[in-house]
Amino acid sequence: MALNPYDTPRGKLRSRVEATRRQFLLLVGAVGALGATLFGGLELLKFMFPAATLEAPPQFKTHFTVDDLTGSGTLKVNVLSDTANRVTVVLDTIGIYAVYLVCTHLGCTPNYVSDVTSGTGVTDTAQTVAKHYNAEGGAISTRNGWACPCHGSRYFIDSTNFYGPAPRPMDWVDISMSPDKFFVVNRAAITVYRQAGDTSVPRWRLDPKTGKSNGATIGV
Amino acid sequence: MSSKPTEGNPLRAFASQIWGSIFRHGLPTTDKVAARTALTNFFLHVHPVRVKKSAIRVSYTLCLGGLSFFLFILLTISGLFLMFYYIPSVDQAYQNIKDLQFVATFGLVIRNLHRWAAHGMVITVWLHMARVFYQGAYKPPREFNWAIGTFLLLITLLLSFSGYLLPWDQLAVWAITVGTNMAKYAPIAGPYTRYLLLGGRNVGQGALIRFYVLHVVALPLIGFILMVIHFWRVRKDGFTGGL
Repeated sequence: MALNPYDTPRGKLRSRVEATRRQFLLLVGAVGALGATLFGGLELLKFMFPAATLEAPPQFKTHFTVDDLTGSGTLKVNVLSDTANRVTVVLDTIGIYAVYLVCTHLGCTPNYVSDVTSGTGVTDTAQTVAKHYNAEGGAISTRNGWACPCHGSRYFIDSTNFYGPAPRPMDWVDISMSPDKFFVVNRAAITVYRQAGDTSVPRWRLDPKTGKSNGATIGV
Repeated sequence: MSSKPTEGNPLRAFASQIWGSIFRHGLPTTDKVAARTALTNFFLHVHPVRVKKSAIRVSYTLCLGGLSFFLFILLTISGLFLMFYYIPSVDQAYQNIKDLQFVATFGLVIRNLHRWAAHGMVITVWLHMARVFYQGAYKPPREFNWAIGTFLLLITLLLSFSGYLLPWDQLAVWAITVGTNMAKYAPIAGPYTRYLLLGGRNVGQGALIRFYVLHVVALPLIGFILMVIHFWRVRKDGFTGGL
């Protein structure tokens, strides 16, 4: 009488350890299909990350000229903003710098305000406040700075945060002069990157006369 | 000439046949007929054929799941109307919203219906989840459905978040700026998540079209599929009756 080899005790053990041809092919097929799907799915995720976007390039030319900023003469601090490009250009007694108006809390655009300390409990005579306005030389009695409309963070004119949830100062970005006397701002080139708690006044400036920067970068 | 009025009148016979093919059962005269009607009718089969008397008490579920589904249907229909006017373009979106309010008849009503139903759905879904939690209705054999429910809550919140950007006003742009920057704080995946959501580095055209597609197609579709499973499980897990 013919006996199925798998019906013997030894055969039963074999059938547990060894797969039949059908089981093996099923396993290979299933693992292969699953692997291909996983790999393909992960690769397809790249579709959602475009290699190029139609966003504005980081470098742009301001709509105001160098003379617009330096020409007035009566004010020792003058500020001109390009809010569409989120950059403010500041002129003080040392030179020119550009602040990239991206709140370090959650990325809104802070507004330029003339009395930044009002309502914060920070007094104008406090030593820390005075430090950030040394460059003014008292020419402007009000405290210029930035106030974020989203969660109320406040920044002094040198972009140092002093109130609200902002964790660190806003960044300064590279600014230079074009031959036709406009400013060229490169938002991708950060010149001053200060960590949380850094309240030093950056020394980086663009000289309005020579058109060259002094190269005093921080944190880059 | 026939004696009966319907005989020999092909139009009436045809109309009677159509009526009979749509309303196949008539009014339920007995429990048996009612049960058979519920079993063989697509729309009625969503309801259980038999429920415990204690299970139909309003205070048992407070109708919160049903209210959430009702609001979802309301949002789907009102959203469909809004889509006739809305173009997800940074140049036109805000103006389209204004058109909806001031140019289209009932546009203001439909837009506000959509907005308030959206707020309402977030509230009812949260309350529904709280009700299920406090009554211990997440326990076996319903733990699978509880998990589906948590995903449905996530879908509800994502729908609410993605719809936030579409009016393309100041509130919308900065709310999504803030929201996606929060996502950026997540370890490792954070910056990628933000780029994935925005299709770029700032809230612009890329972000608007992505949020639009998520809001009108992807998320409602996932939500619908999960809801089908959710309701199916509610029926299959049965009712425990009153507490």
